[in-house]
Amino acid sequence: MSFVSVNIESATDSPVKLTRRALAKQRTRERVLSAARRLFSERGYEGATIRDIAQAAGMSTGAVFASFADKSELFDEILTADYEAICAQMVQAARSGASADEALLGLFGVAYAFHLEQLPLLRAGIAVSWTHSEAAERKSRSDLKHIFRLIAEVMQRGVDQGQLRGDIDLKLLAEITWDVYVANYRRAVYDGWTVEALLARLSDQLKIIFAAARA
Amino acid sequence: MGVRDEQKQATRERVLEAARDLFNDVGYEETTIRAIAERAAVSVGSVFTTFASKAEVLSHVMERRLDDLYLEFDRVLPYLRGATADRLCSIFAIHYEFETRRVKLFLAHIAASYSPSLDPGVKPYGRNQRLTDMLCDVLAEGVKRGEVRADLDRQLAIDVLKAVYAWNYRMAASAGGKGDAAAMSAAMERQILAIAEGWRPR
Repeated sequence: MSFVSVNIESATDSPVKLTRRALAKQRTRERVLSAARRLFSERGYEGATIRDIAQAAGMSTGAVFASFADKSELFDEILTADYEAICAQMVQAARSGASADEALLGLFGVAYAFHLEQLPLLRAGIAVSWTHSEAAERKSRSDLKHIFRLIAEVMQRGVDQGQLRGDIDLKLLAEITWDVYVANYRRAVYDGWTVEALLARLSDQLKIIFAAARA
Repeated sequence: MGVRDEQKQATRERVLEAARDLFNDVGYEETTIRAIAERAAVSVGSVFTTFASKAEVLSHVMERRLDDLYLEFDRVLPYLRGATADRLCSIFAIHYEFETRRVKLFLAHIAASYSPSLDPGVKPYGRNQRLTDMLCDVLAEGVKRGEVRADLDRQLAIDVLKAVYAWNYRMAASAGGKGDAAAMSAAMERQILAIAEGWRPR
């Protein structure tokens, strides 16, 4: 799903000295991104046109297209930035949980807390992820691998520490866990559930999912 | 039924049929109410006197489809055989078989389920009581037959199964809207068996 897209491994060290032109370009990008974020939140992905976004950013559509190839690239950039913002926290939560359960609740708790703060944008992201093109889907699928790697790492530690059995299909259980994590957002969208309520639910769901895997 | 009611009913039918085809062939987001009206050969205004929004049209299209599906289930369910997990696999396999016939419709339905609509006529995916009831019956039967722990929180288990069922449609989404019912059913089977292992009485 594209709202968890990442480039976390691309190193951004070696600060480049920006020329005035590059700086101006950077500022334009930021203005576009911030206007786009607001409009996507207010109107959803389909409801916000490049024309609207340009207008909200106070520039021409041509200027927007100079920075972004199309609307989907713009949207992906916002979701990627969001994911990068919480990724480090998720990793930390995953590593500091004492048990596999705690680590999973910790890492998903970070995501719930972040996305509940900006639910309309999450909704737009999910809606797009179910209907977007094949190419975008392939991209988001490879992005998802980072999350699954993190979940797998947590579960493997559970095996190593003797909480989970060694002969379980970790990948399958990770998938199921992910499925319920995403499905639970509907409770937030429709029923106004809080982060705490979502985590309590997830905790119960984990008991069902991992019932046979407990050592 | 008066002539006016009959006309209204006929309009409704035509709109739902046109919308079903357009949502599946062109896409939900890409389809406008105007396009639906044109295809159904009715006025835009008459679409809006029948439905509050496009979201409501989609919801009714899905409900209509499910009516057909569940009629089929009423016929089939008494003949389900095998262990609890096998029965669950069959129920979901039938769903995949049915929904992949017009899979883009179902993808739009799932997508819409994360965007709340205030229209009272909208019933999102996940609130399908008939599926829940069906799964609940199978699990209750499983308890009687000693295959499912009596203290299992069945609603919670059903919640997990439905989440998994929906996510398997990612396969169709990633294939650009081509659903492979057999592959989805096979994935669901592995998932059901993993979960069922956990609810076995010990």
